Amino acid sequence: MSTPLVNSGHGPRQQFKLSIGSVTFGLQMSDRKLFGAASVRYRAFTDAARPPIKIALNDGALPAGAAADFTYEFEGAALRAFPSEIRFDGVRNQYALDSLLRVLLSWKLLDRRGFLLHAATVVRDGKAYIFTGRSGAGKSTVASLSPEGSVLTDEISLLRREHGMWRAYGTPFWGEFRAAGLNISAPVAGVFRLVQAAENHLAPLRPLAILRALLPNVLFFSAEAEANRRLLEILSQAATEIAGYNLAFRKNPTFWEVFPR
Amino acid sequence: MSTPAAVVWQKNPDLAWREIDDETVIISPHDSVMHELNDTGSFLWKSIDGKKSAAELAELLVENYQVAPDVALSDAQALLEEMSSRKLVVTVSATGGVSP
Repeated sequence: MSTPLVNSGHGPRQQFKLSIGSVTFGLQMSDRKLFGAASVRYRAFTDAARPPIKIALNDGALPAGAAADFTYEFEGAALRAFPSEIRFDGVRNQYALDSLLRVLLSWKLLDRRGFLLHAATVVRDGKAYIFTGRSGAGKSTVASLSPEGSVLTDEISLLRREHGMWRAYGTPFWGEFRAAGLNISAPVAGVFRLVQAAENHLAPLRPLAILRALLPNVLFFSAEAEANRRLLEILSQAATEIAGYNLAFRKNPTFWEVFPR
Repeated sequence: MSTPAAVVWQKNPDLAWREIDDETVIISPHDSVMHELNDTGSFLWKSIDGKKSAAELAELLVENYQVAPDVALSDAQALLEEMSSRKLVVTVSATGGVSP
């Protein structure tokens, strides 16, 4: 993900729309190569039906006197959310753009009862199985051992509560698959905390244990107390309403046999 | 305990917390550390309102857990010191009529 994006002259501003988890963004940029790279990078996530949240990319001067509601800086790139617009500045490669989009999405999901989770999501029989765990726990392994399922993502899952039920969405943020996930959603069957073992075994978790499984794997970048209160409220609701399990699994597709039908 | 009797306790306002499964989960946003309080700790946490001293909190433990007053005070002080060391609670002066 090191392809330079900002390396050409500027022209008229163009807008590239993308929709992730039904959150629609409009990336406004005047760099043709940057526009082309974004169009390819996020091409599976362009079905933006709603008015987008506008993002001005590498647009120069900041709004005069405006105070940002939320800021985040990453390796020279900066996200600043003003009441009137959102700015991404200093974006020099796809990695930086991807990172700022994740940060912005995690913040915007707060108002939509959703969150981003380090997890692989596989849709099987119309239901989304969320496999979570720290790096090395086996998220990509589980995804690769699911030939009968559709892999929404092997790295970052998006969960939202809509109309009283939890849905999982694919995201364009990739892991070892080195490819964007699928731009589809499905109702959540459960959250499964991965433990590699000699035998397959599924053990149900109480809500507190589910919350313990979720919290270290949630992507969230605000240190502001009120934002964290809202996040914890959403996660507590998810831990109470979504079935959760410890999944001890062998590195072969037989682990699917232990799931409740 | 070194805290003077005229001191009352309040929750650190920078924290996020929720009750789940009769326990309390507290998140410290600045370092992303998760803390958990058991049943007694949760009861004490809910009772901490910026107005009560350790002795007054201990009285609530006596009323709700049928423990001897000296045990309740010892437990309350130990819990408050533990929470204080984790920066979950802070002390404020009781002057100005906040508490008797």
